[in-house]
Amino acid sequence: MKQKQLERKLQKKLRVRFGDAVQVSVEGRIIRVSGSLKRWEDIIEACSMCVIKQPGVHVVNDVVFSGGVRAPMRTPGFTDETLEGRRPDVLVIGGGVSGCSIARELTRWKLDVLLVEKEADLALQASGRNDGEVHPGVDLGRGTVKQQYVRKGNAMFDGICRELDVPFRRCGQYVCFADKMTLPLIRMYAWQRRTVCGVTDTQIISAKELYRREPALRPGFAFALYNPSAGCVCPYGLTIAYGENAAANGAQISLNTAVLGMEVREGRIRSVKTNRGTVHPKLVINAAGVFAEDISAMAGDRFYSIHPRRGTNSILDKKAGSLVKSIASIKLLSGNTAHTKGGGILHTVHHNLLVGPNAAETYEKENFATAQADIDEVFAKQKQTSDGLSERDIITYFTGVRAATFEEDFVIERGRRTRNLIHCAGIQSPGLTTAPAVAVDVAALAVRMLGGEGRVRKNESFQPVRRGIPQVRNLPRRERDRLIKENPDYGVIVCRCEEISRGEILDALKSPVPVFTTDGVKKRVRPGMGRCQGGFCLPLVTQIISEYVGVPAEEVKKSGPDAVISYGRKGAAYDGL
Amino acid sequence: MTVYDVLVIGGGPGGLAAAISAKKNGADVLLLEREARLGGILKQCIHDGFGLLRFGEKLSGPEYAGRFEDEFHSRSIAYEVQTFVTAILKKKDGFLVRAVNRQGVQEYRTKTLILATGCRERTAKQVAIHGTRPAGIFTAGCAQHFVNLMGQMPAKRCVILGSGDIGLIMARRLTLEGAKVLGVYEVKPEPSGLTRNLIQCLEDYDIPLYLSRTVTRVFGTERLTGVETMRVDEEMRPIPGTKERISCDTLILSVGLIPENEIAEELGVPLDPKTKGPVCDNRFMTMTEGVFSCGNAMHVNDLVDYVSESGEIAGAAAAAYTRADRRLISLKTDDSMLYLVPQRLDLSGGCGGLTLYFRSRESLTEGTLLISVDGREVFRKNYRNLKPPEMERLTLDTSGFGLTEQSGVRLSIVKGGDRV
Repeated sequence: MKQKQLERKLQKKLRVRFGDAVQVSVEGRIIRVSGSLKRWEDIIEACSMCVIKQPGVHVVNDVVFSGGVRAPMRTPGFTDETLEGRRPDVLVIGGGVSGCSIARELTRWKLDVLLVEKEADLALQASGRNDGEVHPGVDLGRGTVKQQYVRKGNAMFDGICRELDVPFRRCGQYVCFADKMTLPLIRMYAWQRRTVCGVTDTQIISAKELYRREPALRPGFAFALYNPSAGCVCPYGLTIAYGENAAANGAQISLNTAVLGMEVREGRIRSVKTNRGTVHPKLVINAAGVFAEDISAMAGDRFYSIHPRRGTNSILDKKAGSLVKSIASIKLLSGNTAHTKGGGILHTVHHNLLVGPNAAETYEKENFATAQADIDEVFAKQKQTSDGLSERDIITYFTGVRAATFEEDFVIERGRRTRNLIHCAGIQSPGLTTAPAVAVDVAALAVRMLGGEGRVRKNESFQPVRRGIPQVRNLPRRERDRLIKENPDYGVIVCRCEEISRGEILDALKSPVPVFTTDGVKKRVRPGMGRCQGGFCLPLVTQIISEYVGVPAEEVKKSGPDAVISYGRKGAAYDGL
Repeated sequence: MTVYDVLVIGGGPGGLAAAISAKKNGADVLLLEREARLGGILKQCIHDGFGLLRFGEKLSGPEYAGRFEDEFHSRSIAYEVQTFVTAILKKKDGFLVRAVNRQGVQEYRTKTLILATGCRERTAKQVAIHGTRPAGIFTAGCAQHFVNLMGQMPAKRCVILGSGDIGLIMARRLTLEGAKVLGVYEVKPEPSGLTRNLIQCLEDYDIPLYLSRTVTRVFGTERLTGVETMRVDEEMRPIPGTKERISCDTLILSVGLIPENEIAEELGVPLDPKTKGPVCDNRFMTMTEGVFSCGNAMHVNDLVDYVSESGEIAGAAAAAYTRADRRLISLKTDDSMLYLVPQRLDLSGGCGGLTLYFRSRESLTEGTLLISVDGREVFRKNYRNLKPPEMERLTLDTSGFGLTEQSGVRLSIVKGGDRV
């Protein structure tokens, strides 16, 4: 029997490496690894050893991690009854780019859509902690789900960013090679990518052309692999825009709302318990990122595992922005981990440079702490791409956690055992690129599962166009003048580094998914994103939020309910900006 | 459109002094301030100690600024508040300054510019602090804004990193308002603030100062719950095995100030990597004709009295400015000085009263400033207690130095006093 054969083969491999500590069983399309190991790296290795390249077959990690404590999911520290008894057609779990784009596509239909996000804002985990690259897909081999979607998604970006009023630059990507001898090999590779994988824009350009376009790259590159279709976008900007457009079209977005449990009977989710009440959805979409496996377990439909992988990026001052105008990275023929492109230097839509990310396995899904070693690793590598790169230009850095499956592929399919469930899981790079295309397919699947077009009617009043907050600083002089004369608050600059006006901050507070925190305002209109990192504007933004919402300044938080900025009044009156 | 003789950007102590001085010298002056009120950072500096040199009395920041504002208004100098400069274009006979305010996009023409844009604070990320990103990490000036302007208490149990003056002032301020300041950590083996602040803000309140120690990591997901400190070696690298975790809700950073010269850079004004301000001549004109600099935008001063003085020099010079070829020579220094301002001397208009500002690299109980021209000593002065945090100021008559455009002028500090 094939299944037993595979099981024996895998067990043998595991025994050589781990003795009797781990066992494997093959149950249909699930390869379950169990036992107990002390080191997380060993668990990753054991599970990775059991991966077989067969569509739909997944490794499930049941190995007990005896060497550490995996913290439970962080949840909002409060409960209320806001959602109690809600009966949405679709419950989307997760306010990242997957969840928000799916919610938006669902609002094309007359459906009651509820999106829950446990954090205080959208895009606070992987979707807000990545490099914002819109990938050309040149690094992906054929046959994976993500490869299927990457070209489709990439091609949609011009349209979707125009509709959602999100800045997008199709800036191109250069992968630079120093060794001339590799040229024939890379030529073959480029040909294969163009003709077999459908990455039709793949080209090879000469060193001369490379330096003409990117003169500040390190001297000595022989040629580069070039994909003009690569681009960059603000990842949380896109996510928030999707969320806002969904909300404007009738979806309900409930922040600070964590899914705590589910009642599943006869292969259907009957109710979903959250800290804000129990809801009874007809259909559930699992877009829970690093917690997608946990959600699948609650739903009785766990057939894949997520192993978190950290990555750290640095943001450099706009003054360094001229070093790289597109996306560039060096290709080292050794030492590259198989599952990431290996980071690079990216000129962001806001004209900073972004350097990174690296990749490191971790058992902690929500540890976003940075470490100097990560920055050092990234800079050591990327200085080989551009030697003008300097740590001195760093204005901030951040860590994100990727939601990788052991197959390193996406899981986009309906529940296997639970019938009113769709998984959108294992979404890591290039998940931002694929999101627009995945969302269309998931929404279509959802409509089919809810009875098809016969039962679900089109939302005739769907408005695909969102008007973003004007970026007043980038407007032509006359336009800016006109806008200020209409609303003088656009002429009062609150954030001096990024030149953000009071009017833009108030717009953020009035937006369809308003978040009355200083981080929420920062994510939407950028005060505090510049070189002073909020030193000057944090008190001013706090004050504006406090006045707008009508609460004392001490009730304005940085992010979550416990992210207290100030402990309360001490006496004097304030008459600042 | 009115063409001003002098347009001052910034209404803090440097800009106010520059505008008054330019007006006194007969110029038609306009001052632009981005905040709602004049006074710059002094508005939030409610402690005393300002103006000892200039007025012979201890004033608070707002009082000090008030004296200049009174004079500024009494001379009917034109100004705009809440007006933010967005671009400056060089024109044939001066500059076109574009700004925004509540009325719209404004344009002003001027023959000369004085950049009095002050400085900003270095941030946690610039001193490589790692860990999470909770609330409760503030630069000292930011915390000062909360306490002194908004009447809000941002701290209960607090660690201060950096012994810069604002950090020391905030240690006292927060203590007076009921917070517990657990200690001030300084990565260098010596404190960076003024001696008087060490005594009046730390010693008088029993706040410990830990030298050669730094904060390496922060903890807490929503609000800060603690920091990790480490001892550092002579190269200021953390020493393994010296980690200590301190539980606190606030980290205040006083880790240095950086002159704000984004406007200057856009104009192509060359900066001095040592001061991070523009390279200036003895009239505080930058290497770009018609563009002057003063105050903390030129270099970070320790006393506001010097900020005002540099504003006055720049203001008078801008008022008197006529385009003429400068005959510039460099004032060269060596490693004995952290920096010297000005960096150039213009021989064309006579340079009798030259005002110099410098900081010694090392702390010296006795030191001597030597000035030589082509290897020949032309000036010396003995100093007691030279310290990097305490800037020295000197006025000189260079008319007897026999300077020509070929002269090589060097300034250095040597250890020891009269016997050198």
